[in-house]
Amino acid sequence: MSAIDDLATEFAKLPGIGRKTALRLTYHLLKQPAEQSRRLAQTLLTMGERVRPCERCYNLTEDVLCAVCRDPRRDQAVVCVVEEASDIGAIERAGEYRGVYHVLGGRLSPLDGVGPEDLTVARLVERVRGGGVREVIVATNPSLEGEATALLVRRELAGAGEVAVTRIALGLPVGGDLEYADGVTIARALTARRAM
Amino acid sequence: MPLLVSDAIVLHAFDYLESSRILRLATREGGVRSALAKGARRSQRRFGSALDLFAQGSAQLSTRTGRDLDTLAGFDVVASRAALAEDLGRFAGASAIAELVLHFQSDHADPALFDALAATLDAIAAAPPSRAVDAALAGAWRVIGALGFAPALAECAECNAPLDDEAPALFTHAAGGLLCERCARLAPGGRRMPGEARRALQAWSRGGEADPLDAPAARAHLRLLREFLLHHVVDGRPLRAFELWERQSTGSGA
Ligand SMILES: [Zn+2]
Ligand SMILES: [Zn+2]
Repeated sequence: MSAIDDLATEFAKLPGIGRKTALRLTYHLLKQPAEQSRRLAQTLLTMGERVRPCERCYNLTEDVLCAVCRDPRRDQAVVCVVEEASDIGAIERAGEYRGVYHVLGGRLSPLDGVGPEDLTVARLVERVRGGGVREVIVATNPSLEGEATALLVRRELAGAGEVAVTRIALGLPVGGDLEYADGVTIARALTARRAM
Repeated sequence: MPLLVSDAIVLHAFDYLESSRILRLATREGGVRSALAKGARRSQRRFGSALDLFAQGSAQLSTRTGRDLDTLAGFDVVASRAALAEDLGRFAGASAIAELVLHFQSDHADPALFDALAATLDAIAAAPPSRAVDAALAGAWRVIGALGFAPALAECAECNAPLDDEAPALFTHAAGGLLCERCARLAPGGRRMPGEARRALQAWSRGGEADPLDAPAARAHLRLLREFLLHHVVDGRPLRAFELWERQSTGSGA
């Protein structure tokens, strides 16, 4: 039975999947044609091999640069800083933003052991120092950790040259999650951003 | 399911499943508890801004005997403590305090500990950035006192002989406090504490204030507190928030 146990154990490591669901998924796969499992395994392998962080902004991509960084119509002088790559999807769905991004890779969370050096803030500073950036819009979540992270970004950018640092407006509900905000709310939060 | 209604403070929150959060709450009536806030990430209607870190309010918890995870039925926020995110020193200090309470958690009601925690977070939130480390140090020793781990400071931890307030004395973690001259000669290790540091520790343990610390004094106090915590955290779990706080406050690293 160890192959079944092994797979269930792997499933159970995924967020939100308990032991019971893990076993249900495993048995479900066993009932499917072998081809189905092979395809799933191949897809997982391919993903692991191909997907990596964009060299400029840490968005996820299969190339050296992500689709946003490669797009010549995007304004490279405006950089929107987000906690996770998944936040980019939410802002893109709103359809208003024409600048580029920088993914921090999380937010300050001392209890989880996440400190300043665990985020990509230093790389953002380098990027701004490199020139060509007019404005950095900090779009971390409107939570206490998100605000502290915004403060860190502001502080680190203070010595990085002539750049305006702005914070998205809190039309977003406090304690909420950018990922779950609707397009109109996000567009409004971006438009009504203020200097930090 | 029995309902527990209690004053509560959010100490830690992390995402769970698609749209929920699990909270670690310090409660006045039920000790430290874990609670599932269903749909907290998606909908603001139910919990509003209540579920932010360090927020305090009245929590309604559905509990079940034999289960570690309560369900949060509601949370009426009283204080949000947003000021803790307006300075990185405050944020780091408050996080270290939350970690301290979580490390020594129990699910027994402890109103004194709850009040010490609430007062500490308020003091850190109100402290000017330059004094945030003082406020968090004071709060840490106050919370340690409420937890029942207060070190012996007025008399020798070994022989109970009264100590001279002004003279430096040896602090050892093994003895759990200061030693008189005679006992100090027999004790291996330990740190000599100047009178000023001793008086600060005494004031903080009683919930009082001490004179402002300069940078070397703050460093020494952080080191003493770290050693004290490591000595008492028997299971050897890392003090991650404390380490970040210490690094930030002493300017080593970010
Ligand atoms: Zn990119
Ligand atoms: Zn003695």
